[in-house]
Amino acid sequence: MKGAELVLQVLQQHGVETIFGYPGGAIMPIYDALYQSTVKHYLCRHEQGGAFSAIGFARASGKVGVCMATSGPGATNLITSLADAMLDSVPVVAITGQVSQAVMGSDAFQEIDVLGLSLAVTKHSFMVRSVEELEATLNQAFAIAKSGRPGPVLVDIPKDVQLAEIDYQPLASNAQKAVSVPTSLANAAKARALIAAAKKPMAYIGGGVHVAGAMPQLQQFLADNPMPSVTTLKAMGSVAKDNTHYMGMLGMHGTQAANLAVQQCDLLICLGARFDDRVTGNLQKFAPHAKVIHVDIDPAEINKVRFADAALLGDMKQILPAISASTNCDEWLAHCATLKQQHGWRYDHPGERIYAPLMLKQLSERMPDNSVVCCDVGQHQMWVAQHMRFSSPRNHLSSGGLGTMGFGLPAAIGAKLARPQDTVITVSGDGSFMMNVQELATIKRFRLPVKIVVVDNQRLGMVKQWQQLFFNERYSETDLSDNPDFVALAAAFAIPGHCITRKDEVEGALEAMFTWPGPYLLHVCIDDKDNVWPLVPPGAANEDMMTEAKA
Amino acid sequence: MNHVLNITANNTPAVVERLLQVTRYRGYELAGLQLAPRADSRSLNITLTVSGDKPIHLLTSQLHKLYDIQQLELASAELAVLSA
Repeated sequence: MKGAELVLQVLQQHGVETIFGYPGGAIMPIYDALYQSTVKHYLCRHEQGGAFSAIGFARASGKVGVCMATSGPGATNLITSLADAMLDSVPVVAITGQVSQAVMGSDAFQEIDVLGLSLAVTKHSFMVRSVEELEATLNQAFAIAKSGRPGPVLVDIPKDVQLAEIDYQPLASNAQKAVSVPTSLANAAKARALIAAAKKPMAYIGGGVHVAGAMPQLQQFLADNPMPSVTTLKAMGSVAKDNTHYMGMLGMHGTQAANLAVQQCDLLICLGARFDDRVTGNLQKFAPHAKVIHVDIDPAEINKVRFADAALLGDMKQILPAISASTNCDEWLAHCATLKQQHGWRYDHPGERIYAPLMLKQLSERMPDNSVVCCDVGQHQMWVAQHMRFSSPRNHLSSGGLGTMGFGLPAAIGAKLARPQDTVITVSGDGSFMMNVQELATIKRFRLPVKIVVVDNQRLGMVKQWQQLFFNERYSETDLSDNPDFVALAAAFAIPGHCITRKDEVEGALEAMFTWPGPYLLHVCIDDKDNVWPLVPPGAANEDMMTEAKA
Repeated sequence: MNHVLNITANNTPAVVERLLQVTRYRGYELAGLQLAPRADSRSLNITLTVSGDKPIHLLTSQLHKLYDIQQLELASAELAVLSA
């Protein structure tokens, strides 16, 4: 068989049934092999969208997402999405066609050094030099993508390798064995002692917990060691809804209660998180009284930005039970409960215009259980994190580390294909939506019943908010008041839609959206003056949050 | 302050670029580089000298993660041998 056919055989051996991509000259042999393959290919309308769909597929399912592109511009269009997967630790395998080796290095048509371009945005990348090494390389790519801290892997395959003949016998050993994670419990006793001694412990939960499959162990840990908990953007949904000590998201747009409690705690138990600057605010002033227990699978995160008094590396599933110690902090729990009570969300909002936080709360209450919500980036993204509740981090797909506008719509396509039985909703902004709007064609082609909510303030709202607060109201290039008619735009892709402007229209519009069996776009017009609160201003400590009243 | 790293790496086409990219991105300056294939030509012996004000573990922990790095030893400081 040809190398191109081998690629599809190996994908099937890895259980891949769904791939996202876009054809072109240097990857034509693989697309030719695809023509009679049982692997289902979803044609995106821009390679960045295809790779975001692979990310959405991976994040919603826990499997490896796979995308393909041709050489040159096809490959460069993948770069942003690979960077997104890198910073959010998403297992993705990207396959790119490359010009034939005979012309490589000659500035051939659609030739670019994608291996060189990939260095900063992948966990690893390969150039396949002969058809004999193709199978082993693809197997390595899958192993690397999902092992340890997951991440994106790129495999660049020259056209002559795709066309080369090979006598291929599938190896029985290709079946993927579960690799045990090297885990050190050497510091477990120290961690237990810190927990037992703490008067004000706090669990700071990141995306690494669910990626490790340690959700049951986390609930058990929080039940056995009652303590308040906060989550990062990526970990929303990690703490069971009935856990009364959960305080919400921390960081720049976190809840006041979460930020204040973290600032006051005397022990911070960091589980699969990395002290990102959007979480810590001013690092020197972050949780200043706290000792730190840091649990992670990536040794490079330990002591990277914050010293850990006890560090445990490896499998979260093994570590959490091993550091369980009895906490005794009733006073602290009561104090945190009071903080929560004092700083609850308020949804009273004057006038008849739609208030996005309230609308999203209504959406959250109305959406079916286990719905997946895919966000874009900006004000709406923070409102989703603040005002919607999730039962699993796999139900809240938000571009965290890279903060990539244009993520939401294609990610929703991937999520819907990964979990066709679940409702999938994109919540986007009028700025972000336009960044991968071409993927409406993918939704149309495959009749994917994705629900699209465009929160429209006719602004690049988050940048506008910062201009208002920190740049003397000089609104440089953030006015989008000449937006297209989004309902008409959706209609051009045979997607019905509806536009609402008033609070009293929200419930009926959500009902109509969920009742409609297919894809649907709900255009929600809001006031451009509404901002995201609270906000930790740049350089400030997390207790110095700005609120609407103070701004 | 200069740090000398003795590295054994897979002899793959991009391995030196990877080392240098991580070194630059993490904020260290290149002060010296020597490399030679080992007898079997499948591995490289690399001596990387870098300078920087940040603690060197911030670089070594990132270099360790590179798939093609087999072994990394900090020659000039108190850190023990760290095997990849």
